[in-house]
Amino acid sequence: MVVDSDRRGRRGTLAVAATAVVLAVGGVVAVGVGLQQATAGPPPAPPVSAPSTPPTPAPPAVASVAPAPDHAAAAQELSAKTMPRSRPVSLTIPAMGIVDSSLVDLGKEADGTLEVPTDYGQAGWFEPGPAPGQFGPAVIAGHVDSKAGPAIFYRLGELQPGATLSVTREDGSTAEFVVDKVERYPKDAFPTAAVYGDTTQRSELRLITCGGEFDSGTGHYVDNVVAYAHLV
Amino acid sequence: MRRSTKLAPLALALALPFVGVGSAWAVGSTNANLQPVPLNGSAGSGTAMVQVNGSTIDFTLEASGLADGPHAAHIHFGADARHECPTAAADADSDNRISTSDGVPAYGPIAVSLTQTGDTSDASGLAVERFASGASIQYMRGGVTVDPAVAEAVSQGQGVVVVHGVAYEDERADAMSDLDPSLPASATDPALCGVLSAAPAGGADTGAGGAAGQEGTVMLALGGAALIAAVGSAPLIARRVRG
Repeated sequence: MVVDSDRRGRRGTLAVAATAVVLAVGGVVAVGVGLQQATAGPPPAPPVSAPSTPPTPAPPAVASVAPAPDHAAAAQELSAKTMPRSRPVSLTIPAMGIVDSSLVDLGKEADGTLEVPTDYGQAGWFEPGPAPGQFGPAVIAGHVDSKAGPAIFYRLGELQPGATLSVTREDGSTAEFVVDKVERYPKDAFPTAAVYGDTTQRSELRLITCGGEFDSGTGHYVDNVVAYAHLV
Repeated sequence: MRRSTKLAPLALALALPFVGVGSAWAVGSTNANLQPVPLNGSAGSGTAMVQVNGSTIDFTLEASGLADGPHAAHIHFGADARHECPTAAADADSDNRISTSDGVPAYGPIAVSLTQTGDTSDASGLAVERFASGASIQYMRGGVTVDPAVAEAVSQGQGVVVVHGVAYEDERADAMSDLDPSLPASATDPALCGVLSAAPAGGADTGAGGAAGQEGTVMLALGGAALIAAVGSAPLIARRVRG
């Protein structure tokens, strides 16, 4: 009996000690990961921008006017610097620590939204739009973070006007851009015409990522951060 | 009383088409990537952008690497067209060129002429003096009135921009246009083509929240609790070992 109870006691002590070791090791690892994530902090983001485009004009109550003869003003000739179409191969943004990062092609999802890269470490080019260097707004999107921590466009929100970036293209040429502004928009008021439309009549680049509050209910950030740059 | 009852259906019939037009208020940003039409020897590229606002559009057209000479440019649309750019297979008469007519099953007839001045209807399709010319073209024009059905089709990604005018340096240089027998085929054959597709809807889901803060906090809390438990069990172990 004495021997038995002694044995049980020793076994119990070992079990408690083993549990303590597991807890200690696990605790240190968890604190380490937690610290890494917590020190990275929420992604930088500029303040939310006021809508830069007027709201959609209301449709006329009754389209009682028959299609009128065309009185559109004459066209305006443009002389923007442009490059021919060539697939973008890699992206360099010194201010964000991004050097020669390869790009994937992005399209549209079945619901019409922008496809996003599957690799959190890689940005993607919206292939149906202009190529970087071509006339019009070329679009490159990248994640701000993965579930584990910062991703490729984590620092997009801290990009400053005047910062330079470049895109190497398949034809061997490099398109150099200068940042004009960085804006933040609620996703439910995303200014599609300003981001994807023709608003400046030159060769431009838009870099898109997420920002603002993270909604753990939907698993998505509520805002988008968009950096605008033009070809130089 | 009696008269008004009789007139009511007539009034309704008159009003209905307008109700239909009023409800088709198309809005949207579209963009076409202009790429060379097969067989025709163009090596250029370009961008066409069309902003649809109800029954008017604003357009911007840019292309480079074109042949010298005038470049008629249009938005093509046909309800029964495929809303595509023609492939080499569109050369139905096997004359080693895609004429404007060869491309019609793919992109449909001219819906809007992207002229620089004056009329923009299909009637101006070959008004070469009102289009841009040269190897590079760049211009924008706003407030162009179009058929509401065309505006709707364009906003739905069914409009196709075609830039015409190529340079043939073989026997095709002698061919005459399928659109106007007094013009050389090179003046009207399509050089570049692109489908106007709608911009992506809404924002982009480019984040999974790992840097948003709460994941790090949760890990810190769990790890801290585990460490406290480990440390807390030390006296128990010590007592047992001593005992």
